[in-house]
Amino acid sequence: MNGPTPAEISAQLITFCAAGMLVFQLLLIVQRMLLTNIRLFALQSFLLTSIAGIIAYFHNATHVYLVAALTLIGKVVFLPWLLDRQVRRIGISQEIEPLLNAPASMLLCGGLTLLSYIVARPFTALERLGNNTLGIAMSLVLTGFFLMFNRRKAITQVLALLTVENGVMLAAVALTTYGMPLVVELGIFFDVVVAVMVLGILVYRIRDSFASMDTSKLNQLKG
Amino acid sequence: MLTSLLLVPLIAGLACLLVPSRRWMAALNVLAFGVTLALGIALVQRVLQRAAVAEGGNFLYADALSAWMVLLIAVVSLGTALYAGRYFRRDLATGVLTAGRVREFYVLTPLFTAGMLLVVLANNLGVMWFAVEATALSSVLLVAMYNRQTSLEAAWKYIILGSLGLALALLGTVFLYAAAVGPRASAELPNFNWSHLMTVAPQFDRGLIKLAFVFAFIGYATKAGLAPMHTWLPDAHSEAPSPTSAMLSGVSLKIALYALLRFHILTTASLNADFSRYFLLGFGLCSMFLAAPFILVQKNLKRMLAYSSLEHIGLICTGFALNSPLTIFGALLHMGYHALTKPVLFFAAGNIHQTFHSLEFRVIGPGVVKVLPVTVLLMGLAALAAMGLPPFGLFLSELTIVIGGLTSQQTTASVLILVALLASFCGILQQLSRILPGARRPGDPAREARQMDGVPAMALLLAGLCLFSVWLPAPLLELLHAATTIIGGKP
Repeated sequence: MNGPTPAEISAQLITFCAAGMLVFQLLLIVQRMLLTNIRLFALQSFLLTSIAGIIAYFHNATHVYLVAALTLIGKVVFLPWLLDRQVRRIGISQEIEPLLNAPASMLLCGGLTLLSYIVARPFTALERLGNNTLGIAMSLVLTGFFLMFNRRKAITQVLALLTVENGVMLAAVALTTYGMPLVVELGIFFDVVVAVMVLGILVYRIRDSFASMDTSKLNQLKG
Repeated sequence: MLTSLLLVPLIAGLACLLVPSRRWMAALNVLAFGVTLALGIALVQRVLQRAAVAEGGNFLYADALSAWMVLLIAVVSLGTALYAGRYFRRDLATGVLTAGRVREFYVLTPLFTAGMLLVVLANNLGVMWFAVEATALSSVLLVAMYNRQTSLEAAWKYIILGSLGLALALLGTVFLYAAAVGPRASAELPNFNWSHLMTVAPQFDRGLIKLAFVFAFIGYATKAGLAPMHTWLPDAHSEAPSPTSAMLSGVSLKIALYALLRFHILTTASLNADFSRYFLLGFGLCSMFLAAPFILVQKNLKRMLAYSSLEHIGLICTGFALNSPLTIFGALLHMGYHALTKPVLFFAAGNIHQTFHSLEFRVIGPGVVKVLPVTVLLMGLAALAAMGLPPFGLFLSELTIVIGGLTSQQTTASVLILVALLASFCGILQQLSRILPGARRPGDPAREARQMDGVPAMALLLAGLCLFSVWLPAPLLELLHAATTIIGGKP
């Protein structure tokens, strides 16, 4: 019997999940309903959790289970819930017209993805898991940056920041089997949660003071 | 000892949540930072005896460079705490701030300090990243404190740009980790500690370490406010309450630069100095040259001071980039003198703000000296120091950097530094001479000026500056030499 080895299966699964993360990222870029955006982010984070779970299972790394659990609790359940509640409370459900329209954004992000693959190419020999996971991670970072500049609602900018974070975590997985040391993972997790809470406070204050959470109105300071 | 250094401000900050009165909170802050300073001095002695101190199973680690940064953090925090008491009493009296907001300040400032201390004391580079992010998160609500539309805008820019930058820095940290793990399949690094990484630096993967440095550089340089990623800097510095501006400018920028330096040192140890130092040189000079014209066109006092910080941080960065022992020594010294000078300027700006209810030059000037003579005297002295005039220390450190550059055959860069320094010298002189001296405009309403508010803190820092300008104690000199050797200085 020459079935695929466990290592091959895990590599295939990880590639599949990573590709799924990129798909959700692209959907985020064209989607304008805020609640849907939050769900898309939760799904993307769920795939990241799955990748961590797959690694933990196939490589018998117990501490990665903990990382998976933290990601699940933090990025799949808690943060989406927090953002969801905020959007409902503020009562704005849709993003206004972004700077670039959907087809143009799509084209640009295709270009960014290509660029990431080119940048990641020399390092494919170092990738331990999956095919081109590093390329996908870099394109998540770049398209996350694009999302940040393309949108004007404060909440969407927070989401963009979180997808960049997802990309960085994917890069950590792609390059170093077991991810970062546990203490660092814990620190990152804690930071992300606190960051979103602090940003949430600011969003409320901006909303109170400007009667809007449109960040293009934040333009009084110059020079 | 390292643990208590971190715990003292942390506990003081949390205790301020429970303390009933503002007076007690202020006293607690001053006490905590006083203890921090004492511990910092004790740490310097310990480091001089044994080169490096580690604690908590190597979780915390301090060498000469960290000890020097600890001193800067403690001094600026203490100065700020001394100044803040009177400042907020006045803001409360005029109703600009509520008591809740002031409590926010007294809770968050010690946490901010504790975060900065963790940056310089963390051994694990991942923990260092975490601590830098923690400083950003603890200071952003301080920037937004006044809750004006402009301060919310400044805070939003600060946190968004800072977080984006730090996401890149995290990517750089991940790449560094991968570079350290190297091509050995499925290996887990024994630890990600600085003390361990330095011993294995020559075996790093060469491609990845370059990538790691580039990402970490862009990330931490954003937080350090180097041009062209500096756009958040003047906004945050001008909109924050003056004590916070002093902390941001006095130490926070240098803490980010410290994180950057750690990556620079590792990259240098792995490849050679020529890869990373040109990044520092380019961005440092760019910051200096960008700052000069912006100083000249500013219409707001604190924004002008923020651009002056940009110039100084650029100079420090350039000093490290020139990479001769003399320039590195000069840059370290400059960090110290700048930390003593800039808070004085921001404190004075705070007094001016509270007296004139504005920072716009056309509202406050000319003739501030007629209204606030003591503040203007101290501010003038600090401004002369910040411009780099003798006999103040900043002249000495700037001269050291330029001479170091010239003697190590880097004439072009040294001349460029001189030109940029001269340009911002003229800028600050021109701007301040427009507002500080002269007679008040006729018909100017009488202002309620409190002459002595904040003067003790300013005078203390200035006295420190004057003292250390003419006399550097032997242990401090030894510490700076040890820190210089850590950063490098070999061609």
